[in-house]
Amino acid sequence: MPPVPASDHASPIRESISESRFSSLRGVRWRIDLGILPKSPASIDDIRRVAADSRRRYAHLRRRLIVDPHLSKDESKSPDLIVDNPLSQSPDSLWSRYFRNAELEKMLDQDLSRLYPDQEGYFQTATCQAMLRQILLLWCLIHPECGYRQGMHELLAPLLYVLHIDLQYLSHVRDEYEDCFSDEFHGVSLPEIELSSAYRFEKIMNMNTAATDKDGSVQEKSAKVTSLDELDPETKDIFLMSDAYGVEGELGVVLSEKFMEHDAYCMFDYLMNDANSVVVMAELFSPSPSIGSSTGLPPIIEASSAMYQLLSIIDSSLHSHLVELGVEPQYFALRWLRLLFGREFSLEDLLVVWDDIFSFPNLVSFPDKANESELGCRILCSPRGAFILAMAVSMLLQLRSSILATEYATACLQRLLNLPEDISVKKLIEKAKSLQSLARDTVFSCSTQGGIPGHQHGGRRGQSLSYGSSPVTPNLLSDSYWEEKWRLLHAAEELDKENCGDTVSSDMANGPLIGRFNLPRTASDPCPTDFQSENKNVGPSDTSTRVDRNHGIYRSDKVPRISATEESLCLEIEAETDYVEEHPDQDVIVKGLDVAEESRFNADNSLSTATSPHRMVNDHEYDSEDSSITSSSLIGRTCDEANSAENPCNTSIDKDENSIASSRSGQGPYSVEKHAAGLKKWKPLSGRFQWLRRFNRGYAEGNMGNRIAVEPQKSYVVADNCGSISGAPASDPCHNSYEVSRNIEDEDKNVIGTSGDPCHSSFEAHGEIEDEDKNVAGNLRGIAKAMLENIQVIESIFKQDQGLDGSKDSKSTTISGDGQAAAMAALEELRNISNFLSACDD
Amino acid sequence: MVLVLAIGDLHIPHRAPDLPAKFKSMLVPGKIQHILCTGNLCIKEVHDYLKSLSPDLHITRGEYDEDVRYPENKTLSIGQFKLGLCHGHQIVPWGDLDSLAMLQRQLDIDILVTGHTHQFKAYKHEGGVIINPGSATGAYSSITYDVNPSFVLMDIDGLRVVVYVYELIDGEVKVDKIDFKKTATTQSAH
Repeated sequence: MPPVPASDHASPIRESISESRFSSLRGVRWRIDLGILPKSPASIDDIRRVAADSRRRYAHLRRRLIVDPHLSKDESKSPDLIVDNPLSQSPDSLWSRYFRNAELEKMLDQDLSRLYPDQEGYFQTATCQAMLRQILLLWCLIHPECGYRQGMHELLAPLLYVLHIDLQYLSHVRDEYEDCFSDEFHGVSLPEIELSSAYRFEKIMNMNTAATDKDGSVQEKSAKVTSLDELDPETKDIFLMSDAYGVEGELGVVLSEKFMEHDAYCMFDYLMNDANSVVVMAELFSPSPSIGSSTGLPPIIEASSAMYQLLSIIDSSLHSHLVELGVEPQYFALRWLRLLFGREFSLEDLLVVWDDIFSFPNLVSFPDKANESELGCRILCSPRGAFILAMAVSMLLQLRSSILATEYATACLQRLLNLPEDISVKKLIEKAKSLQSLARDTVFSCSTQGGIPGHQHGGRRGQSLSYGSSPVTPNLLSDSYWEEKWRLLHAAEELDKENCGDTVSSDMANGPLIGRFNLPRTASDPCPTDFQSENKNVGPSDTSTRVDRNHGIYRSDKVPRISATEESLCLEIEAETDYVEEHPDQDVIVKGLDVAEESRFNADNSLSTATSPHRMVNDHEYDSEDSSITSSSLIGRTCDEANSAENPCNTSIDKDENSIASSRSGQGPYSVEKHAAGLKKWKPLSGRFQWLRRFNRGYAEGNMGNRIAVEPQKSYVVADNCGSISGAPASDPCHNSYEVSRNIEDEDKNVIGTSGDPCHSSFEAHGEIEDEDKNVAGNLRGIAKAMLENIQVIESIFKQDQGLDGSKDSKSTTISGDGQAAAMAALEELRNISNFLSACDD
Repeated sequence: MVLVLAIGDLHIPHRAPDLPAKFKSMLVPGKIQHILCTGNLCIKEVHDYLKSLSPDLHITRGEYDEDVRYPENKTLSIGQFKLGLCHGHQIVPWGDLDSLAMLQRQLDIDILVTGHTHQFKAYKHEGGVIINPGSATGAYSSITYDVNPSFVLMDIDGLRVVVYVYELIDGEVKVDKIDFKKTATTQSAH
């Protein structure tokens, strides 16, 4: 994967880990994460200073904005009664401000009185309500352009609650270390302790006389120093933060009940409206499009369509189901996103979710991209925004089965808005984290594809260029888009191949693999003639090593070591190479192509040219491939796509093999294997895979049946495929093959839609293999049988096609004739292999 | 903090067509919590209009009111103040401070609001206040034709009352303010 985003992605996590300094003080942590208090290496003194400053600012605001016409009269002795009277019409008068505030307060109270009615313990107390009211009132006064919108109070409440919990924790710690926290100066003033012990009195007297510093902070600390050192650093921090004699005095006490309102306000303000941040919650509440938005839609709509876009990449079938039902994303995402899932989880769970949300920095991580891309994606530009959307998507995935079961929009919404109580937040967060990087990468796809939300799924749904759910119809797709796509797929296909080669030759050495994954593919020119001319002088050695391999050796090498899934892939390669061997009259082209690809691949590898949009898309594509594993429906598609992006001559063969492989469970595990092996550094992803594997293992049995059910349809796909290839004129190879891949894609969708879970089967196969090697033989036999079946089908169709082609289009016959001949040869070889396989296993 | 509007002697439609436009624009719903109307509205439409400003409307009966159900006088408590309301045509001599003070003692109130004379008056008397808001429409009275439209708004906050007097003089609204503090012993603060 690309190094830049990867490192960018890793850094926030590292930071959040280092923030575990205040692990027991969530409020302090949040304040640091939100950017109010300085980050970790800052000393307690700095923290106290910043805290005091923020409180001063708040106090100043409050003094300025909360008006009391009664008090002000005394201060200003010459009030202009014409202006300042209760019935004054002038909007600037104290009284009209007062009335406006009163009106706002009334509105606030309506909402506040219904805040967390089940949590009466804290939120419904008078002090809490008063604080919430005051904070919201002030915020609204300072941000008149936003005003108060329902739901803001629910964003604020957890913040205040967290501070409250911190204070409780503090008092608990205080009780535990009473001697450290006890304040002897105050003790003196308390009458019941006063002079009760002569000893203490003397001691204090001594200290007072010895004191050079008037405020007493110096000797206070020196007096405590022995006991302070005994404390663990955590408690020491807490002590230092709550020490009234520290920096800034009482105002600097980080954990202070007195300044809860101040602190909560700061947190709320930073959450709602931080100037430097990307995710501005206030924007999500605003009904008008934000400045700089080109779509002219309210930000919340843009954010929710960005979420759908992400979903469409991760799980297209779920997405299309939602679209079919007419469930617009904002129907439920409005609440999810505006309240940051406040209504979806219980308060305790919500705090955990927010922990993670806040732990991601809210800055633009790719400023250049952020400017380019439009607002729907802008939220994705920051790790926090990406995480929020990923969280939403992971919630959708969690509800996947129940959503897919719904037939009406209302029922679907009901499920979306009433999440099951037993939902595991940890799991959701884990999944969201793994989706996050993908979410962030969609930014690139956005920016390179024009950045219109909905564009992605519009494209995915078919070739018809229908953008049903996309709010703004973009310009017609430029041809370069498909070309780009084709290139990507092409590159992906090559990568796959290379990967296989790697497993064969270098025994999955990690180094080269990583290098390969980093390769930037800027100049992949799909024109076959180029390759041919190029390849002649480049390394035939590479191919020859492959070609020279003997079946028997190859197999005996492989079987014990690698799992059967790889087997099927190796098989695929071998089919190709063998084909090259045995048909010298045609192998000039094919072999050449092969070599060209290999060599070019390597060349690119070593070149590692500068970053470019292509590459971004490239990364994104890989991501989508990964994600397809989650979605379980994309997998076959992307792989098919990738492989179908071969050159026209090769297409038919490759396709056959591919579709066989994918239908025979070769493909899914293969890509899993690939990613698991190659992307070990991609922790979140591999984590997800594991999760998926676990998930899919459940489907272990009864899969064979599934496979068989899928089989006929698959072969139909293949047939269709071949037909379109041979039928299409060879003028535009890119487009052609793309179309083919589209066909497959669509068919695949159908297959998946109708016959349940072919990909589950593939996963299952993989899991099985991982678990028990004994099944390998059985699987192989199964594969062999299936191949045979497929081959038969393909053969029959080819025969038909041949007849058709000849009569239809004379121009295309030359090429398709070649292709067909090659295909037939390959089929022959396939048959040999399968025979061999079954014999071997027997 | 409570805003109490004291208004009366509108004499609509007999002596004036309506409230002055400037008053009408100032009197908007939502600000005023209570209305004390001394009487002589005279028709139901005015009653409805006042009700629209604040639902808590207290009216005593003037001699020209068509609604005979209004009481002769009325007392109510707002915050820490006891207020009394009377039209004032019953109290002779009309507008006489001592006579009004008598009624104030009789009703045992801090603030007495009366009308009838169509002249704004406010007295601090014996630890209480006696207020005459005048005629809101500037209708002539049986005493004089020279009447400036006026009404009174009381801002009651704790032990303190601020009386705002709104008077329309030569087409301009003049506002005046009188402070009054009630002491715990109900002795006059000023």
